[in-house]
Amino acid sequence: MSSQHPCQRVVVTPGFRVRVAAVPEGGAGAAGLGDTMALRWWWRCGPGSRWEQPLGSLPRLRPPGPGARTPLLPPTPSAAICHFTQRNSTLSFPKICNIFWRFHHTSTSHWCSCSKTVSNEKYQDPFQLGRKDLKNLYEDIKKELLVSAAEFKEMCDYYFDGKGKAFRPMIVVLMARACNIHHNNSREVQASQRSVAIIAEMIHTASLVHDDVIDDANSRRGKMTVNQIWGERKAVLAGDFILSAASVALARIGNTTIISVLTQVIEDLVRGEFLQLGSKENENERFAHYLEKTFKKTASLIANSCKAVSILGCPDPKVHEIAYQYGKNVGIAFQLIDDVLDFTSCADHLGKPAAADLKLGLATGPVLFACRQFPEMNAMIMRRFSKPGDVERARKYVLQSDGVQQTTYLAQRYCHEATREISKLRPSPEREALIQLTEMVLTRDK
Amino acid sequence: MWGALLRRGGRGPGCLRGLASGGPPWSQVVSEAEKIVGYPTSFMSLRCLLSDELSNIAMQVRKLVGTKHPLLDTARGFVYDSRNNLQMRGLVVLLISKAAGPSTGDISFQHNMVSGIYSSQRSLAEITELIHTAFLVHRGIVNIGELKSCDGPLKDMQFGNKMAVLSGDFLLANACTSLAQLQNTKVVELISSAIGDLVQGIYYENSKSSEENCLTDDICISTWKEQVFLSHSALLAKSCQAAMELAKHSAEIQDMAFQYGKHMSMSHKLHSDLQPFVKESSADTVAFSLNSAPAVLHQEFLGREAWIKQIREAQGKGNTMDYKKLQAAIKAGKGVTSAMDLCRFHGNRALAALEGFPPSEARAALANIVYAVTRFP
Repeated sequence: MSSQHPCQRVVVTPGFRVRVAAVPEGGAGAAGLGDTMALRWWWRCGPGSRWEQPLGSLPRLRPPGPGARTPLLPPTPSAAICHFTQRNSTLSFPKICNIFWRFHHTSTSHWCSCSKTVSNEKYQDPFQLGRKDLKNLYEDIKKELLVSAAEFKEMCDYYFDGKGKAFRPMIVVLMARACNIHHNNSREVQASQRSVAIIAEMIHTASLVHDDVIDDANSRRGKMTVNQIWGERKAVLAGDFILSAASVALARIGNTTIISVLTQVIEDLVRGEFLQLGSKENENERFAHYLEKTFKKTASLIANSCKAVSILGCPDPKVHEIAYQYGKNVGIAFQLIDDVLDFTSCADHLGKPAAADLKLGLATGPVLFACRQFPEMNAMIMRRFSKPGDVERARKYVLQSDGVQQTTYLAQRYCHEATREISKLRPSPEREALIQLTEMVLTRDK
Repeated sequence: MWGALLRRGGRGPGCLRGLASGGPPWSQVVSEAEKIVGYPTSFMSLRCLLSDELSNIAMQVRKLVGTKHPLLDTARGFVYDSRNNLQMRGLVVLLISKAAGPSTGDISFQHNMVSGIYSSQRSLAEITELIHTAFLVHRGIVNIGELKSCDGPLKDMQFGNKMAVLSGDFLLANACTSLAQLQNTKVVELISSAIGDLVQGIYYENSKSSEENCLTDDICISTWKEQVFLSHSALLAKSCQAAMELAKHSAEIQDMAFQYGKHMSMSHKLHSDLQPFVKESSADTVAFSLNSAPAVLHQEFLGREAWIKQIREAQGKGNTMDYKKLQAAIKAGKGVTSAMDLCRFHGNRALAALEGFPPSEARAALANIVYAVTRFP
């Protein structure tokens, strides 16, 4: 194995078939991004400074910081946009990813000789694997929404039109399969696990409907928002109803642990929304605050739904933790990229207005990074971009700075961590799909 | 006090009397009932009300003073009205828990009881209140597109909506968390479905009140009953049932608790709908809903066309409704008396459901609540 790449080491531990650890050339252990201390340190010292020494897990990945700018990463806005429109950009990430890919490919065939069919070609698209499980997903969700009034039914069904990405249900069913295979080589998805996928999408949608009222948003996924069409009073009720239907479906799974795990999501979503209201004076606190908000508003749902299906599929608490950590890291990366797209993508493409976060007064990752290069942004952040011209100026600063690259880089680190976690499971096509999914999170453009 | 109550009732807690004679006033019924269940129920969601999140909102809500955002009234209600109707649901859940007692054959369980009520049932009572309060808040969202300039600045109204959505969601999330901690999937399902019922009931309420040009929906009393069950009864009925499930009572007892909760809250709603028509002092005629029970029944007796004609006459010039005139028209018909009959009908059904519980102070208090909501001057 060691001939594959000097940086990789396979550790076989009891209970797990394969444990992959990314080992730096220096030989120190792998540091996880879940480690807040390391992250805080990274933020404080700046990724351009001595960052490699304490984190040290990915020596080849050069951070696009001001001190370590490579010729591959011109810090111009157009280059940043180029990265998100052309999938095969010259960013350093795909290289690392390919290394990973090759490694996993070989490790899979090495450890699991029964699955000789494993190849890059076949599992290029993880969505293919889960698609079978997710067939009729939206039809089944609509069946959960038992409403007698026709107009109210239409409102509740509105976002379950089959045009969403179904990103969350996809992760959930793939995780379910990966855990089932890990546990007893089962190739089936249990009905209760599929219910978790449905519930995750319902909770997510309910929160979208409420968020749109809170933010007074007009468009989402390329169509008008529920509040725009039916008014705020009814929109809030539609969100409440979807949530109650999700709760009923959750109770019908009949497992109190699963109820607790997914109820945590509901609490986190609300607390995340409260966190979004406040802002911190101190720069370091501000970044920690941003990450906490990101976890609660986005990652908690993915992390806890992954945990829920792992509990249903496998009794080993270590597996539950792996599933949770994978979901948490992918979730944070997903939101970081979302925050980047708010700057780099145009409104038509996103299905919602661009620079929406700034208009709402929110300072997301790219802004916080940019602020370190342009301290004059501090005042704007504190007044939540409320003065005329603030939004435009802040946007300009962000695109002039390396805020977009830094945020993307941070997202890569979270994806790497997710990959490291999921690699602890027994190899399976589904596990490979989950690894590839982390890459899709990074390269998506909408 | 309790002794006085019994003397007035004429008979001990051993048997339930009919509805003919008047009971003690509402506030007295509540304060006596609170003593039975151990501690005042108004403290129940204090933990929530004192949380950082809601204190923050309370600070922010001050920005709304001067606007007409409904959140202001709801927030005032937390302070001024907490002794009245606000916590009635939690109280009833506690009373019926105590009335049912521990299920037979379950002795191991009993040491968990305080004042004859399981701690899980106390949590459930709090959850019921949290849900009810959450929807009081969510009822008070305004439609931004329909605002008039007198309501207040657009920005403030948007802010009020934001606070209302958030604080309602916060209360609801707390309810969900406590619900999960009960570790009973059947109870989670029951209460979640009650939330769904409540939402649909409020939806019907909203779709009516949005027609501000004062034409009523063409609904008959059976539709009215279905909708009022959703908006006013389902939560209490299902909470009462869930309280029995938590003590592992039989399906029969669960159903009786459900029936009590359902019929008591139906008569409660009818009672409050009737207030504008039975109050003696006609000086302060309040605007009443044209979809309240007496109005709906009045329409049934009169026929829709004649009713619309009466509304048009009361509307007069300038689209301001002469409620006094309309009130007189309804009082002249059979709507009021038949709404009272309906109120008593549900009261009797609630009392009948109580017959399934052994005589106790708690059962007598539940009966007194029924007497209070079926009493007319």
